[in-house]
Order: sequence, then C-alpha cells, then structure tokens
Amino acid sequence: MDTKANSNAAAPTKKKMGNLTFAIIFIVAVAVIFFLLNLLSGGIFLDGSNIKLILSHSIYPTFVAWALCFLFACGYTDMSLGGVLVLGSFASCLLGNMIGYPGVIIGGLVVGLILVFINFTIFAFTGIPSWIAGISLGLIYEALAVIIKGSKSIGKLVDTDLASEYRALGQLPGSVILLLAAMVVIYFVYNRTTIGLNIRAMGGNKEVARAMGINIVKTLIAVGVICGIIIGVGCIIQQSTNVRTTVKTGLTSMNMVFQPIAVVLLAQILERKINIIIAVPICSFFLYAIFNMLTIMHVPAGTLQDTCLGAFLVLFGIIGNWGYRGIVK
Amino acid sequence: MSERILEIRGLNKYFGPTHANKNIDFDLDQGEIRGIIGENGSGKSTLLSQIAGLYGSDSGTMKLNGKPYAPKSPLDANSSGIAMVLQELGVVGGLPAAVNVYLGHTGRFAKGGIVSLKDMAQAAYDECDKWNLPKVDMTERLEGTGIETRKMVELVRALSVDPQILILDEVTQSLSLNNRNRLYELIKRFKEMGRSILLITHDVEEMLEITDTVTVLRDGEVIGTVKSAEVKPEDIRTMMVGRDMSGSYFRDDHTPTYRDEVILKMDNVTSEFGEISDISFEVHAGEILGFCGLSDSGIHTVGEVAYGLTKIRSGKVTLEQQGVEITSATTALNSRAGYVPKDRDNQALMINASIRDNFALPSAKELRGAAGIISGGKVNALSWKMKDKMSVKARNIFQPMNALSGGNKQKVNLGRWLAKDLQLLILDCPTRGVDVGVKAYIYQLMKDAKEQGIAMILISDELTEVLGMSDRLIVMKDGKMKKIIRRDEEFTEHSVIGEMI
Repeated sequence: MDTKANSNAAAPTKKKMGNLTFAIIFIVAVAVIFFLLNLLSGGIFLDGSNIKLILSHSIYPTFVAWALCFLFACGYTDMSLGGVLVLGSFASCLLGNMIGYPGVIIGGLVVGLILVFINFTIFAFTGIPSWIAGISLGLIYEALAVIIKGSKSIGKLVDTDLASEYRALGQLPGSVILLLAAMVVIYFVYNRTTIGLNIRAMGGNKEVARAMGINIVKTLIAVGVICGIIIGVGCIIQQSTNVRTTVKTGLTSMNMVFQPIAVVLLAQILERKINIIIAVPICSFFLYAIFNMLTIMHVPAGTLQDTCLGAFLVLFGIIGNWGYRGIVK
Repeated sequence: MSERILEIRGLNKYFGPTHANKNIDFDLDQGEIRGIIGENGSGKSTLLSQIAGLYGSDSGTMKLNGKPYAPKSPLDANSSGIAMVLQELGVVGGLPAAVNVYLGHTGRFAKGGIVSLKDMAQAAYDECDKWNLPKVDMTERLEGTGIETRKMVELVRALSVDPQILILDEVTQSLSLNNRNRLYELIKRFKEMGRSILLITHDVEEMLEITDTVTVLRDGEVIGTVKSAEVKPEDIRTMMVGRDMSGSYFRDDHTPTYRDEVILKMDNVTSEFGEISDISFEVHAGEILGFCGLSDSGIHTVGEVAYGLTKIRSGKVTLEQQGVEITSATTALNSRAGYVPKDRDNQALMINASIRDNFALPSAKELRGAAGIISGGKVNALSWKMKDKMSVKARNIFQPMNALSGGNKQKVNLGRWLAKDLQLLILDCPTRGVDVGVKAYIYQLMKDAKEQGIAMILISDELTEVLGMSDRLIVMKDGKMKKIIRRDEEFTEHSVIGEMI
C-alpha cells in the first residue's frame, strides 16, 4: 500500500517534470530522425512543400483514429467504418456539388452520424458481438455503395470529383485549422466530460461501471453519436483531400481504416507519456512522414512499405514498454 | 435506545434454480456495527448486494428509516445513504484514482460540461484526510497498482457518498496490519457518529472484536443474531457450519520440524525496483517458512522473486537440490515449484475458463502424450480427481471459474499445484476471502504437504496464520529482513508486532 500522506503535493509536480523531460527527449529524437531522413533524401524530406504534403495526408487518418480511440476505449470494434466512410464521402460529394460547402459538410456529417449511430444501437440492443455485427453491416454498406454507384439517377453524381471550389477543408490551411479545433473539442470530450469518463470506465471494467450507476446502453449510444460525428468529419476530409471515392467490395473498405488503426496503436504506445488524443495527430504525422520517406527512397508502395510500417510498430512497442513495471504489489 | 435504521422482512433471491436467500428477516440499528458471517456460498454477499442495490429482490420488503426501500441500482442506494465496498468488484485501471472514486458522480465536478480533474483529486484527498485513510496518488491511473491501493480507492469511493450505512465485504483481508488498524479506527468513528456498518469477514476473532452483533447465515438462511461480547469464536464457527468446530485448526506443536536439505536459497537478493533489498534465507524440505510485515515491507515481492516473476538487480535465487538458478517463472515451474498469488482473480486463475482448464494448466507438460499432444482424457481425469479431492462445490469440471464462490476458487487455485509433484510451494495469503471451513481445510493440506517434505513459503497479512503454521518466521520492514524467529522462541503476536512497527 502506498502511504503517501506527505508526498502527494510533490507527486503532480514530479509527474509534470517527468512529462516535460519526456516531451523534450521526444522532440529532440524526432528532430534528429527527421534531420537524418533529410540527409538521406538529399534535402527533399524537409522541403516545405514535402512537409505540407505529409501534413495534408495525415489529417484524414487522424480523424478516423480519434473515432477509433473512442471505439477502443469502450471495448468495442466496428468493422463497418470503411463502408461508412465510403457512403459518407459519396454524400459529401453529391450534396457538395449540388449546394456547395453546406452540402459537403451536411452530407458527410449526417451520413456518418446516422450510420455509426445505427451500428451502436445494434451493438447495444442485440447483444451480437460487435465485430460480427460490424462485418455484416460493413457488407451491407458496401453493397449499398455499389447500388448507389450503379444507379442511373445518382450513380454519376457520386462517382465524380468534388468540385475544386469546395475542397478547402481537405487542403492547407483549412484542414489544419479544422484539425486543431477538433483536437481541442475531442480532447475535452475524451478526458474532461462525464460521458468521456463513462465511456472509458465502460471499456475498462463494465461491471464496475454498471455498479457505479453508469447506464451501459446510453453510454454505448453516446459512443455511436461521438464516433459518428468524428467519422462524418473524416468523410468530409477524405472527399475533400482525395476528391473522388471509389466503391469497395468484399470488405476491402476496411483498408480505409488500417492506417488509422496503426496510428492508434502507435498512440497507445505513447499513451503513458502523452494523452492519446494529442498523441494521435503526432503519430499520424510521423507515420505518414515514414511512408513519404519510403516513397522518396523508391521503396515500392504496398507490401514493402507495409512491412516497414509493421517493423516501426514493433520498434515503438519495445521502446514504449521499456522499463514498464506492470503490477506493483 | 437506538433507532432502527434498516428493517428487512421475508427477503428472497433466486439465481435461476438456486434459492440464494430464503425469507431473510434482518434489523439494523443506528450506530450498530453488525458482522455477517457464514460459509462461502451461504448468501452473505447476496444479502448485502440486495441492500446495496446491486441485486433486486424476488420477494420481501426493506425499510430504511421506516420508509419503504427498494434500490434499483447502487447509485439509488447511494442517494439513500447506503454504500458498499465489494469483495471482488475492482476498479477501472485505465482511469485515474480520483475518477474511480467519483465514477457515476463525476458530474459534480463539471462546470459548463467540463470536468475538473484537479478538483476531483482534491476532493478525494480531502475524503482521505477526513477519515484518516492513507493517501493514494489520486492523479495516477490505477493500472499496475497493488490490490491494497485499489481496495483503498474503493473504500474512499464508498465513503465519498457520505453513507449512513457502510457495507464492507471482506475488505480487511486485502489490507496489511497498519491499514487494517486505520480501518478499525474508521469503524469506531462511524459508530460514534451514530452511523451503522455491515461487515463481512472470515476472520471470526476479528469480527467479534470490532462488531457489536453478528448475524450467522447458512445455506441462504439466517441462523441467528448474537451479541459479539457474549459469544466465543467456537460458538460462531459451530453456528456457521452446523457442527462442532472446537479446537485449533493451526499446528499444535511448538518446535520447528523440518529436514536438513535446503530446497530454496535466496542469497543477498535485491529486486529490480528495490521493493526488497539484501534478502537472504534458506527454506528446507518439510519447512513452512513464514513472512510477515506491514504494507511496504516487501513480503509479497519475496514470493514473486522466489518464483521468478520479479526480476532481481543483484543476488541469486537457487533451488539447491538441482543447482538451478531461478530467473523466470518457467524455470521455477520446470523445477517443481508452485506459486499461489494473493490476487487470485487477476494473477492466478483464468477466470473465464473452466475449472478443468484451470486444474490442468500447471500440469500441461505432464499431461502430454507421446506425440506431444495433451490428452483430453488425462485432463478430465486429473480435473475430476482434484475436484473431488479438494471438495470443490460445482456441478462439474466444465463450469466456468467465475461462477464459483471465493472459497471454491481458492480450492482450485491451490489444488492445481497439489496435483503436481512439488518440492517448493509459495503461498501468498492462501486463505484470503475463504471461510473457516475452507481455511481449516487449507491448513490441513499444508500440514499434509509438510509431511510429504514439500518446502513452503507462507506469506500472509494474517499474523495468527503465520504464527499458527510456520516453523520459522521472517519479520520484514521497509523491504529488509528485520528478524528471524523460530517456533520454539518468542513466537507471539506481541513480539512480532514489536519487530514489524
């Protein structure tokens, strides 16, 4: 038992100092790595335009990764998010090209929110394991996307580019402003609101949460709403950055979530030192910097780059767990 | 005369076909400290859970301060002034201690929807000060903390609702002596304030010392309520099990008896993070070597180090007969050593797996056939044999562990090691959360193991236990060995406490 009667006042200060030291070491380490990468790439890596490219490509996975943070925090998985992203992006494109920015925003947000809300309502009320229900829903959403694309009336309206004058939310500086604003909101929701704490309690120990009077069903539906909004914004960014969204079948829509999952895994490794909501954009940028560097180094995209990603994850995992004590008696 | 605060009439609770509580009648007065005692599975925790709003009732009535009381949830019970610290509920490791304290009430610290973690931590510290409880770092997440810290957070959580009735379900056995004394002080203060406590503990002597009255349950029925000052521990034990339980269940000899051969030797060992330093001792075949100490004494780390679960910075742990140095739990397991940890649900058992799988796990190597495939028949045979030998109360070996009572879980936890041909058994609080019947059974198993020449390290927060069973006792303080006392020396609580403090 920790009898820390006299040490409590000093503990937070000590913790802050520890975090500050870690932050300094982390920044210096990243700076050194980037400097070395820059040398290796003959000065291309740290070129202003290249940094902008990395930044703009890391925004979309950041949003999806934030949604995954809530999902993992409550102890559920949702394999249909790729399908939701496809349909949300379609809606953003369709309405955007019809009514401009309000359409871009409303299309992505409404479809993202409604579909993820439906998912979580199903998880909450049916008792089907979320990964099974998620796969089923993912297949339905993919089929829906195929039907919409094949439709004579709206097929051509979704399988087209978002008009260039409505793409500001996927381009700098608009996307970064959106990211910073979202980070503040999401940080507070995750860490400093009753619903955020309840979500984490539910994922951490459902029995304790229930015994403490937390309504599990309501909390789960709240996760659906929060994830839905974040995924909705992800749809907007996705459509605005990539301009056009292709239809996916056979659960290949899940590919849209793989790299955000890698971002969350990296962020979880850093979680002991950096709040996960702040760690997510950092990890997203870092991850895309690595991909960018690999491309500069002419490493073929696909399997080889993914192998490098896996190796980086393992390496980070080892560093992140270095000296971790586990259970303390 | 004290006013009646809680009145229960004809309370029933069914779990499927099991009639857990049968027509319970129960009264509690203001300022009364009431002990609830009974064998594992007698319905104690169920009754208290009904009062605390965790379970509903199938029939019967409850009145609180004369008004009908039927809590729909623990939160509902909290708002009526009843709070409970549960035996095995736990905390949310991923959240800071302060959030765990105010879980379900975090809205109290919200301004404009934003919760102030600083205010929450301060309120939790204030609660610790108010009740003179040891302070836990309320800003830190609870993952990785020990069972005692987590139990203290649960206690602060219950106290934070300012209860009129506080329910403590086997809390004392998770605490070391110093924190247990603080809890006794808290109980006294509660009584002085005219508040009531319902308390479950399997330590009969402790219960009679700290309570005013004791209600005994057996098979879901109230056997009787007696005044603590007017009964002896033997009377309570007899009421609990329905037969005469007089006589000591500890050893009745007063001399250390063990063989000469050294089984385990710890040589100037300091653990990786310094919980213990410079520890040296030998444990012999047929010896029970006891360890006791206050909360920061490091006794539990000794067990972990001896089994290779905690790394060491310096020194050496060897199994002398084979000359094997223990560097990992695998080495220990392969060298015929076993370990029963204190936190049975989190560190010992596969709680969602079957009794069968739990019995078989440490013997997996021995259960392999010629082609290296584990034989299902052998696993079943071993599990049935051990279930019968350990008298595990379960329908069959395929029942999941989480459906068993605490005592039966501990029988599986211990029995799976006794199924093996061991030379060393490390027991960390082996009787935590078990009733007197199971306790007596475990002590008998230890005596049998001693006869067979198995060397045992007995780590315990219960002084009576280590004094009752050990050949030699090592008293530890601040991670160091303070004194070694032999059974034929000054082997009394008084002398040991003098060394501990």
